[in-house]
Amino acid sequence: MLEAVTQFYQDLIIAFTDPKKRVFWGYLLISLGIAVCWARWVAPGGISKLKDCLFNRRIWWSTSARSDYAIFLINRFSFLFIAPLLLAQLTVATWLFESLHDWVGYRPVIGQDWPDWCVMLSFTLFYFVLDDFFRFYLHKLLHEIPCLWAFHKVHHSARVLTPITVFRTHPVEAVLFSLRTTLVQAISIALFVFFFGSRADLITVLGAGVFAFAFNITGSNLRHSHIALGYWRRLERWLISPAQHQIHHSTNPAHFDKNYGVVLSIWDRMGGTLVHSERGQELEFGLSRHLEQGEQNLLNLYLGPFRELWELLLSRITKTMKAIYNR
Amino acid sequence: MKLKVLVSAVVMASATNVIAAQNYADFPVTVKGYEGKSENSVSYTGQAARQVLHTSLKKLAGKGNGQANPELKANMLAYFEGEGAGREIISPATKGAFVVAETQVDELSKKKNLAGKAYKGSVPGWPGNMTGQEVLGFMIDKASGSNKGYDPLTGYDYAQLISKFTMGAVFYNQAVDNYLDEKLEADTKPNSKAYGEGKPYTGKEHVWDEAFGYFGAQANALNLTADQVYKVAKQKEDALVYADLNKDGKVSLYNEMTYAHAYYAAGFDKGGKTNYLHTIVQAFVDGRQLIADANGEALTDQQRNKLKGYAKTISDNWEMVIAEAVFKYAGSTYKDLQKLNEAIESNGDAAKAFRTYAKHWSELKGFALALQTGKDNLGDTAVKLNRLIGYSPVLLGNTQVAGLDAKGNYIQASSINMKEYMLHMLKVQKLMVDQFSVQARGNDVMADLGDLADKLSSGNSVEND
Repeated sequence: MLEAVTQFYQDLIIAFTDPKKRVFWGYLLISLGIAVCWARWVAPGGISKLKDCLFNRRIWWSTSARSDYAIFLINRFSFLFIAPLLLAQLTVATWLFESLHDWVGYRPVIGQDWPDWCVMLSFTLFYFVLDDFFRFYLHKLLHEIPCLWAFHKVHHSARVLTPITVFRTHPVEAVLFSLRTTLVQAISIALFVFFFGSRADLITVLGAGVFAFAFNITGSNLRHSHIALGYWRRLERWLISPAQHQIHHSTNPAHFDKNYGVVLSIWDRMGGTLVHSERGQELEFGLSRHLEQGEQNLLNLYLGPFRELWELLLSRITKTMKAIYNR
Repeated sequence: MKLKVLVSAVVMASATNVIAAQNYADFPVTVKGYEGKSENSVSYTGQAARQVLHTSLKKLAGKGNGQANPELKANMLAYFEGEGAGREIISPATKGAFVVAETQVDELSKKKNLAGKAYKGSVPGWPGNMTGQEVLGFMIDKASGSNKGYDPLTGYDYAQLISKFTMGAVFYNQAVDNYLDEKLEADTKPNSKAYGEGKPYTGKEHVWDEAFGYFGAQANALNLTADQVYKVAKQKEDALVYADLNKDGKVSLYNEMTYAHAYYAAGFDKGGKTNYLHTIVQAFVDGRQLIADANGEALTDQQRNKLKGYAKTISDNWEMVIAEAVFKYAGSTYKDLQKLNEAIESNGDAAKAFRTYAKHWSELKGFALALQTGKDNLGDTAVKLNRLIGYSPVLLGNTQVAGLDAKGNYIQASSINMKEYMLHMLKVQKLMVDQFSVQARGNDVMADLGDLADKLSSGNSVEND
């Protein structure tokens, strides 16, 4: 147990000190800088807007934000025990790598005349695009499949958005994210090592993939915030702006099931789910405008999805039984 | 100020007085009633002689001219099973500044051979249902008629096969399945008696020394880095200083040279991930000290148990060294197959690529056979290993040696193709990891997967989108 507690503290520290993590202190600081610039030069209300959107106790210490913090801590601790049970990306990559010998027939070495940087860039780009697509697609499924939505609702039940809201995730959903990451990494690693050998490598900055790094230093933490930073319309056709992700959290039914993307907006564009941000947009966040009794209660947040899942199953069974009876 | 001076003095004293590790040499004579002049009880000259018989035999195995060559065969057999005088040490020989002290096997020890100590058990990984001794004799016969040890029809490199299998069937087997096993029992070679009439060493002292001699480490290995020991084995010109323990300007092939398994252990250790050489030699030194401390009395059960503990450390690590070699050469063979495929596809020099493939495969096979000559039956691990590697490398027409006919000729049969055989090599590496937990992992085909996985890994993913 002592070991688990030590690991828990280490994980907590790493979450804010490792540049591979979204809430690395450097990224948070840069996001703050961007927010100040946005308020000073872009926001309709000017710099005073910061008081409402950023330095506001009603955001940072709201019931919703406090639930975020609690979920963050509980999940961190519970994942110490769940993570070892999950499939490691190296196991899947090894299996894929072996299978490729069977599927391809032999192991060709391609791109021998490519310079090393070209192979590295290809790998880095491939991994980034594949990861972004899988994130988009799983996110879409989480919204469209009722039994998955039951769990993803926990994230959408946030009434205020802070960078910590990114961790407001039901453990079942976190397991799905972990499997997604495993799959994406295993595919990327196995394919590139199979075809390019030891030249396959990731271009990194401070240990983080260069594209993830770029995403994070351009204000990724503002996605979960009240800083409605939008991009130019043309840019929003390619990249999801923080304001577009805030639309995804909006209680306005017109915004439901929109802007699933993380970095690239091309997937939403292809799927017809892209909505552009508007200057000065004012949004309410949560599942609906109506405040539910106990919606930020931790027990409800953790157990509610299972109750809902059970109800869904029960209703499906009842329907099937009725259909059989009526036949 | 005084304190500062005192601290500096202590630091300087510790820096200059580094205590040297015990060499495997100069243990005192403890035999009760010994009346001879010797003051040193360490003796493994017979094993040193066998080390040079092995290295010389390997050289000879690469001397064939592609025709039946009775003269070469007789010469090889002289090193394998002969005991006669006048056998030259063909290798190691003086190389530049690395001057070797002995030139004749008999200068080390007389009437020694390899055949008498070769593994008597069956070798299922080689066709013909032969004993280890018979396999080596068979390989010698084939090598004498090959072209510089190489048979392109089967993909055998006999110099490698003979060398690596001898290391297992003679050195490893004798050490771990004899000297470090039954000869440590109380009623065998007791410590309370001289090993033989007038000998300056007791039964247990000599048993332990013989095992050390088979490992092939130089006596001062604990005072050298793995890299330095490796250089000695390779006879690098600047390595004389590491080898020449008695400062006579020459390297004694008895106790100043590194051979066989010790060389491989050093080779893996210099990568920095393992410490086989020093672990094994330290256990040998500690065990030898324990026996010396018994001062010529029979070892108590407690002392023997402790000695068996050292023996276990040696056997376990030695097995790991061989498993590391299997792992490494399975990786080489995999890469050779890839290059061979490329050469075939691009009309490149396939013959050259095939030659390299044959060499590495033969090293792999030799070590895989060696691994099976230890104390314990490897059970299904051996079965898997032999099936994955087969009796020969997969040849260009997708055939493999399947057995021997009554005259000892190889029989070939259709097999898997080379591409599938690549996958077998991967599985051999995986088997070595799963069964022996090898750490050095030379030529790790999967290493790139692990390296990239480490780079991409960012811990537990509990973030939402």
